Amino acid sequence: MTARYRPHPDLRLTALEGEGVVLHLGSRRYFTVSETGLVILEALSEPRTLDEIVAALRDRYHVTLEHAAASTRTFLDRCLQAGLITREGGPD
Amino acid sequence: MSPPIRVVCAEPPLQSALQNWLDEGRLTPPCPLTLQIEVGPLAPPAQDATVPFRQGAVAIRPGADRRSLTIDWETAPARAQLLTASPCARVTLSAAAVERLEECQRSFLLAVLVFLLRRAGWHHVHGASTVDRTGRGWLLAGNSQAGKSTTTALLASRGWRVGTDDIAFLAPADGRVAVHGFRSRIALRPGGLELLARAGGVPLPERGKTGFWPEDLGAEWVSQVEPEILVFPSIGEERTGAKALGPGETLAQLVRWSAWVMLEPELAQEHLELLAALGRQARAYQVRLGRDLFENPNLMDELIP
Repeated sequence: MTARYRPHPDLRLTALEGEGVVLHLGSRRYFTVSETGLVILEALSEPRTLDEIVAALRDRYHVTLEHAAASTRTFLDRCLQAGLITREGGPD
Repeated sequence: MSPPIRVVCAEPPLQSALQNWLDEGRLTPPCPLTLQIEVGPLAPPAQDATVPFRQGAVAIRPGADRRSLTIDWETAPARAQLLTASPCARVTLSAAAVERLEECQRSFLLAVLVFLLRRAGWHHVHGASTVDRTGRGWLLAGNSQAGKSTTTALLASRGWRVGTDDIAFLAPADGRVAVHGFRSRIALRPGGLELLARAGGVPLPERGKTGFWPEDLGAEWVSQVEPEILVFPSIGEERTGAKALGPGETLAQLVRWSAWVMLEPELAQEHLELLAALGRQARAYQVRLGRDLFENPNLMDELIP
């Protein structure tokens, strides 16, 4: 089964003029996120595969598949490390 | 008419003292709230795996279900319990806490009030609120060492209106965000008092400060301010300087000075959205406060036109 990403229940997100701030209520930490990061996190309103997230990003921006996939992977890895999102299932 | 925040207590002198303290703060939340006070012995706080959120001698522990909070005062035993869905805080004060009532109000009961007001949709930010001579609302957000009170006192002495120098609550107001201030004396440390160069005030020896009502400084108190300008101050050296902040920095600063946004998952998003709405409503600046602010009466307006 393909891996799906979803927000951690402790994640809270808001945006201001294309930039965002994300809270992790469990660890009581907060992070600022770029416009691209916001698009990715907002795409996780329901569990998504990497391909679906990349498609959401490319719907918004004119970027190559390779660039979008690399950016998305990097961002998701950081979010996983911070506990902001969870990953379920098999490989991407 | 019953007060907007009612104290229920079986001991009339204590009930009266606490109700007077609350009434003096002149907060008018949109729904009735209750502080239910008992006096009696307290068991030690429960030791569990949850790391308490601390502010001085106040420890705040989320309940296991995360729909409740326990707030303990460690200076003299006192405890409050609040449920997310209830407009009532149940408070037990030890006899030792009652003996130190003024300190208990300032340290412990004010923290309880912060969480009680969340039940009415008012969310705390550590800040001072003022209105300049042209009618623009300002919020100065930062910690207790950031120069908020000294700046507020200075601006008050120059005709700005004042909401609060320290205890502010954000609330929705007809599509805008308003700041409601707990009315209390502007409390200055000796260094701030020296800079203000003003006689008078009331010594607050237990805090090592001198207190001024806004009226003592020639200012008018206002219950509500709609900020158009956000300032995140810090104390610098000689010259005052201001730097405009972008949206991400503004949001991060607002979260930083609104630390309780991290508690109570059911209320956190509402709190966070108010911070974002405030960021949309107001321009934000990081300001280094210098001594020249006390020499040039119009410097703040000139730096942030």
